[in-house]
Amino acid sequence: MTDPKPILKADDLSKRYEDGILALDHLNLEVRPGEVYCLLGANGAGKTTTINLFLNFIPPTTGTCFINGVDVNKDPLEAKKYVAFVSENVMLYGNFTARQNLDFFAKLGGKTALAKNDYYQVMRRVSLQEKAFDQRVKNFSKGMRQKLGISIAIIKDAPAILLDEPTSGLDPKAATEFLEIMAELKNEGKAILMSTHDIFRAKEIGDRVGIMKEGRLVMERTRQELQYEDLVKIYIDYMKSEPLAV
Amino acid sequence: MWKTIVKKELLENILSYRFPLFGLIAMLLIPLGMYVNQLDYAKRVRDYDEQVRLSTEAASSLSIQEVMAGTVAIKGFRRPALLSVYTRGFEGTLPRYYEFTQEGTKPGESSSSEESILSVQGKFDFVFLVQMVLSLVALLFASDVISGEKEAGTLRAMLSNRLPRDAILTGKVAGGYLALWAPFAAAFLTGLLFLILGGIPVFGGDTPAKILIVFFAASVFLLAYFVLGTMVSASSSKTRTALVAILLVWAFFQLIMPKLGDMLAAIVHPIRTETQVSLEKSLLAGSLGMETAKELGRQYDLIFGSAPKGAADDEASPERKQWDGVKAGIEQGAKERKAQQLGTIDETYRQQKRRQQELAINLSLVSPSAAFARLVADVCGTGELERTKYAEAVQAHARTLDGALFSKVKRTLMIHAGGGTSLGFSAEPVDFKTLPQFTIAPTSLADVFKANWKSLLSLLFWLVAPFAAAYMRFIKYDVR
Repeated sequence: MTDPKPILKADDLSKRYEDGILALDHLNLEVRPGEVYCLLGANGAGKTTTINLFLNFIPPTTGTCFINGVDVNKDPLEAKKYVAFVSENVMLYGNFTARQNLDFFAKLGGKTALAKNDYYQVMRRVSLQEKAFDQRVKNFSKGMRQKLGISIAIIKDAPAILLDEPTSGLDPKAATEFLEIMAELKNEGKAILMSTHDIFRAKEIGDRVGIMKEGRLVMERTRQELQYEDLVKIYIDYMKSEPLAV
Repeated sequence: MWKTIVKKELLENILSYRFPLFGLIAMLLIPLGMYVNQLDYAKRVRDYDEQVRLSTEAASSLSIQEVMAGTVAIKGFRRPALLSVYTRGFEGTLPRYYEFTQEGTKPGESSSSEESILSVQGKFDFVFLVQMVLSLVALLFASDVISGEKEAGTLRAMLSNRLPRDAILTGKVAGGYLALWAPFAAAFLTGLLFLILGGIPVFGGDTPAKILIVFFAASVFLLAYFVLGTMVSASSSKTRTALVAILLVWAFFQLIMPKLGDMLAAIVHPIRTETQVSLEKSLLAGSLGMETAKELGRQYDLIFGSAPKGAADDEASPERKQWDGVKAGIEQGAKERKAQQLGTIDETYRQQKRRQQELAINLSLVSPSAAFARLVADVCGTGELERTKYAEAVQAHARTLDGALFSKVKRTLMIHAGGGTSLGFSAEPVDFKTLPQFTIAPTSLADVFKANWKSLLSLLFWLVAPFAAAYMRFIKYDVR
């Protein structure tokens, strides 16, 4: 049986900012349906830049990224149909209730005919407390915001999900709940690309784990390979190693 | 998608503290301003009616002897502009009446002499509120329209969807502006209701159309400021930076630029003051009068020097007939010379002043605030157009009165060779009851638009240019 076509694909992707900093250096990666790809790396390694390029927030210097086969640079609006995004600090409108936020982002995601119950159902799925559904989100904890962010991604029902350090700052219970939802989404066939600092959870959920350093993908391991290797040691070794030659 | 952005923006504004705050300010200030100005207008109209009545009574009992004595001044009153309830413009500084005498016209006092000392800070009227208060509110509403989303990170969340950036920008501008416009419109309508309840005849003639134009112009002006604020917001990554920039923009466009026009025009095109010109005219008139009197005296002496005694009083004598012809010729020549020379001084001054004023206006129109104020003042009959029409009406009435009254009375001053002087009078009958009334030609909307195409262009420019700049900034913005 042949592997399914990748939903997310970075092809020789590089980004050099106007100030000369090379944030991403010839990155190649693929994420297939039902696969979770975890990108590890220190701050400034290029993880967020990769996600920003997939979302067409910034143009690449060279290379191309594809979402569901659509060239992000050539047709960014079409490409964005197939991707949902959850950032580290889920950005929501504080004066809106959870449902109002969900409603707004669902409509932006093209879901215009949803009923109140559809929103409640999604929020229940991510274990957001019922009483919070119609509360303003400005008083939400980070965990609650994160759950709402995942709800937004779920309701869009895109084949790819980009997560930028989603477990950062979450308490262990919230982080565990979050990973459970990720596992569900993976089982539904979503292609998930997640940047993270959390080595343990990357090992736990990632079907593949890549380590980035100075804009380059310096290592990639599958879940099977990591059964016999110590990811923490590999990561620390890479971080301690000499700076890469330009 | 665009509607979703508009609705979200509207809802976000409504749920924020600033919406009820602005609503309260607008609902309080605009109707209050209307109410106060409506009371003031009613008082001025009462004064006007009373003065016209008294003046008409006085005119109907005039006699030609009083005209001969030079003590008669026919007064022409200007009725207060109905829509001065929206903007006072020149209303306070224009003379309430002009006095027409044989010697010329003289402006009467203006209503500014009765104004409170506080009016030096600007009149509390609709235009003042829109210019000074609502423009700032519009800028503040727009201050975080883009930078707020950048700062909060919600822009990233929005842009991760299939949403064109131009739809975000136009949707946010439309929704944000609607949140500003709705309370403003409600306050305007409440103010209008106050005028109706106060007995101001707002439904007559073209008044409803003019009120609609005032409302529309204010809406466009606020939109221009909102777009200007959006431009600043799109260029800033932090709302605090945008706020500081916005305050500077406001101060520059509101306080500095409109006043800079007059100063620069005075430097580029310096002209004499009106007092200097008036003095020059008086001196010239005096000198021409002396020349004429001397010439009349010389001719009188020449004709009657060797004539039999009593020839001057005998209308049938050949000397008297000769004198009447010579005198008429000299007086006519003197009149023409005086009119021509004084006319030249007036025309030169008018041209210089017009050049200076045009330059000042053109420079000030760089500010949307000046463009808005000028347009609305002209619509309301308290602007430059009304001032010009008033001046034209005064000139026309002076000419009419000259033909109908003052030219019927002739005074002849002669200076004889020996230095002696003599003064003679002649008069024709005048019916004082049929003297023409002073009227100012009404200003049509066509006149207003013709005189204000530059103001309209300026407002249009301030709508389009900042939006284009905001668009360029936002489209090229790298989301990091």
